[in-house]
Amino acid sequence: MALINIAAREIHCKIVYYGPGLSGKTTNLKYIHSQVPKEAKGELLSIATETERTLFFDFLPLDLGRVRGFQTRFHLYTVPGQVLYERTRVAVLNGADGVVFVADSQRNKLEENVRSLQELARNITRQGKRFAEFPVVLQYNKRDLPNALPVAVLDRYLRYRTSDGNLVERFEAVATTGRGVFDTLKAISKLVISKL
Amino acid sequence: MESQLSSLIVSLEEKEAIDECLRRLVEDTGATHAMLLDKSGQVIASHGQVERQDTTALGALLAGTFASSREVARLLRERDFRVLFQQGVRENIFTALVEEQWMLAIVFDKGTHIGLVKVLTKKATEELAAILERVRQEGKLRDEVISTSFRTSMEDTIDLLFRD
Repeated sequence: MALINIAAREIHCKIVYYGPGLSGKTTNLKYIHSQVPKEAKGELLSIATETERTLFFDFLPLDLGRVRGFQTRFHLYTVPGQVLYERTRVAVLNGADGVVFVADSQRNKLEENVRSLQELARNITRQGKRFAEFPVVLQYNKRDLPNALPVAVLDRYLRYRTSDGNLVERFEAVATTGRGVFDTLKAISKLVISKL
Repeated sequence: MESQLSSLIVSLEEKEAIDECLRRLVEDTGATHAMLLDKSGQVIASHGQVERQDTTALGALLAGTFASSREVARLLRERDFRVLFQQGVRENIFTALVEEQWMLAIVFDKGTHIGLVKVLTKKATEELAAILERVRQEGKLRDEVISTSFRTSMEDTIDLLFRD
């Protein structure tokens, strides 16, 4: 649920990057942080283990400046992807306005992707929201790897129909180089705004 | 079922009531800082020595910690988990849930007794719950803010800013 503060003339939205472990959620945020102009971003906050695996979440506040007099802020979060952190993901997902589902395109990761997407649907439903109506964008990451599955195969297992009958939007990406990262962010931001 | 299309809109009047509630809480307890957060981690209002801290990051972390502790409570089969206390060497933080939507966090040092914080926070959360109830009714304000032209301007800004 977005927050609109009329007195302070502010609008806040929360976007969460979800997906299986090592699919590139943190890499997406790091790339965004490296490219967005200084005045539009805050510190990238990471709660990670010594081996740089996300333990709780990464957090990146983005400030879009004033839009028609309203200071507009997007707060980007990642969840820890590893299976054992399911309850932590529930905590981070709390109050999200939109989700980017980062899938790992590699052949041996298909099952993890499917399970993670099912878990996401379950967790959104538990928050009392209809998953088919909830703003989600898919990102097929790691398209540069030789064992990446064809997009059509990923579509078959991951791409679902939303409540308006359209297929959920999806983007190909190579988060390490930035390919597709901003297309994904733009799509989810616009989707969230359209549902405010 | 909560609609995805609704946003929580805090009007000028309600924001003033919230500010007043936080101001009184800080004054009466002698705390250093009080914040009202949305469960998503966004800071709705803040009072006290705010300039020394990064309130945005603090909001995100406090909301995350609270949500995480709540999951712990659930695993321990707690029925109703509503408050969290962080004891520090210099400062302590007491966080209390306002209904299921907001959190009130209060930062205080050795000069303030935890008992007083607990009692006055409870009173403040009741006041804030009443404000939240009114905020939930403010849906009609949405159309004044989120017009078609607003959405268009927002999309233009997104295109301009979110690029390599």
